Amino acid sequence: MHIIVCLKQVVAGDRVKIDPNTYSLVRSAESSYINPFDLFALDVAVQMKKEHSGSITAVTMGPKISEEVLWEALTLGADRAVLLSDKRFAASDTLATSYVLGMGIRKIGKFDLILCGMRTTDGDTGQVGPQLAEELDLPYISASEKVEKEKGLFRVERVSDGFREILEVSAPALLTIASRTGVRLPGLIDIQDVFTRYFIECWNLEDLNADPNRVGRLGSGTWVDGLTPTAQKKSCVFIEGDARKQAKILLSKLLEKNLLS
Amino acid sequence: MELTLSIKQKQLRRMARQFAKAELAPIAKEIDEEGRFPWEAVEKMGPLNFFGIQAPRQYGGAETDSISYCLVIEEISRVCASMGLMLAVHNGVVVHPISQFGNDEQKAKFLSPLVAGEKIGAFCLTEPNAGSDAMAIESTALREGDSYILNANKIFVTNGGVADIAIIFTSVDPGNVKKGFSAILVERGTPGFEVGLLENNCGMRANPVSSIILNDCRVPKTNLLGREGEGFKVAMAALDNGRIGIAAQAVGIAQGALDVSLKYAKERVQFRVPLAQHQAIQLMLADMGTMVEAARLLTLNAAHVKDRGGDLSCPSAMAKLFAGRTASKVASMGVQIHGGYGYSKDYPVERYFRDARATEIYEGTNEIQQIVIARELLKRGED
Repeated sequence: MHIIVCLKQVVAGDRVKIDPNTYSLVRSAESSYINPFDLFALDVAVQMKKEHSGSITAVTMGPKISEEVLWEALTLGADRAVLLSDKRFAASDTLATSYVLGMGIRKIGKFDLILCGMRTTDGDTGQVGPQLAEELDLPYISASEKVEKEKGLFRVERVSDGFREILEVSAPALLTIASRTGVRLPGLIDIQDVFTRYFIECWNLEDLNADPNRVGRLGSGTWVDGLTPTAQKKSCVFIEGDARKQAKILLSKLLEKNLLS
Repeated sequence: MELTLSIKQKQLRRMARQFAKAELAPIAKEIDEEGRFPWEAVEKMGPLNFFGIQAPRQYGGAETDSISYCLVIEEISRVCASMGLMLAVHNGVVVHPISQFGNDEQKAKFLSPLVAGEKIGAFCLTEPNAGSDAMAIESTALREGDSYILNANKIFVTNGGVADIAIIFTSVDPGNVKKGFSAILVERGTPGFEVGLLENNCGMRANPVSSIILNDCRVPKTNLLGREGEGFKVAMAALDNGRIGIAAQAVGIAQGALDVSLKYAKERVQFRVPLAQHQAIQLMLADMGTMVEAARLLTLNAAHVKDRGGDLSCPSAMAKLFAGRTASKVASMGVQIHGGYGYSKDYPVERYFRDARATEIYEGTNEIQQIVIARELLKRGED
């Protein structure tokens, strides 16, 4: 079984910097990590590989520094890593991103499943998974919580509007993953070995045989026209005094705000 | 000059950081208060290779470079200094000297279980009358057939309460300590091996620092590490190396104190604005951040010198001296930023403040580092 996992490098919430001209996120290696939902997708892939054997290919689109998330994916159990990187891919919206990922996956070759995180913690559109399914003309199930392989079909559980749905889909298919799994940490030896055993394949526009009009700003159906920060209303109040006094003050504050009935 | 970490080094650091956050952060306060060694977390460290970070592959170690070693110790110490200490001592002054001076039989017997985390190591040099002055030791190892009979009173032994394998610095020639100075491996459980009371220390309280007493403890001569009379060389090589780990630990404590101070300064409101908006607090934070970065660079430089095979004494002494002072200073400034809450056990900065102080004392006090550094400086000719 061959599973492809799409990853995105996201910027830590408290380190977000916006380019004032393009309104796009400024990425740096120090402040970036794998989108947590993509880690869950990778973990589902690793579990399935353990049960059914096979291989995992991790793929991401981004600048050169994005190879860090691919290395992390390799330390967590991926067997191959592909970086889709070209200056012309910059400023791609979700549509152009899905096209580039689709072209990359076509080049990767045959697969049984594509797993994506349900959404990202920075862009938060949730669009790349379904758009990629459209691009590759694949059956698609969103917000999957559990995936099992059964007689050539994938049995997928998802929770929607308070119901647990069980769906079956044949390979090849694309699933977005919503489950929150615990990722197993690799040992220091595992990490050391990954760096002697693997390398990152890096493909540009020409390698993908992609249409330059469908990538980057040119290929994007949407663009950001303006961006202003919204004020954070959260504030922290310190309650002082001994425990009894603090409890009393807390209780009165909660009652005041009608938070206790 | 390359001052950027490699992706591999960053991945190793990331793993240690994630482990510390997941397994140590939730218990750090509690184990400090209870003075409890957290076996539940320690047992998870073996499979992640934390007990043989730089040990040879052949014996199950991860064989990382020294910079990665520092990054791992820093990340663990940033969250829980007691566990950073446990690992720094186990790796730096037990596993390392056995790797360096042990013969194949000793490595197979002692190194493999230490590296797997099945056994924990201790380094026993200090005695009631011998601290900085190592040659003042009174312990003895008398030859008797194929054995040594050891008598020793070793104190302030880090990991002492849980150690399975101890490197005992002793003399095989009581009449001439210097000539007879030797390192001998002794296993817990050997008749006459006794763990004394745990120290009631100010900081590092989750590390079972204790005394180890040997009463007519008979060990085979094959447990001699290096040669007879070579003990001082073993001790100094171990300490030169170990100091890098302790420097990294101090950097971790300082970074941890800075982390909690930054968080507090953003949350705490006085005069209707967060503390972080007051310039007096910003000045402190700026100095703290600068000191931490300087200490980290000195530490990583010492690690780099070690990997290049350069003379380690001076760079590791400088790193330890500066990082230890930085930890104390930064943690103290952190307490100041927290005000009254910084003096309370309800906030973690107080724990960093207590833990930091030890890094100026153990594995060579500040003053011993200064002696090492000054000696080196005075020896150097003009460039």
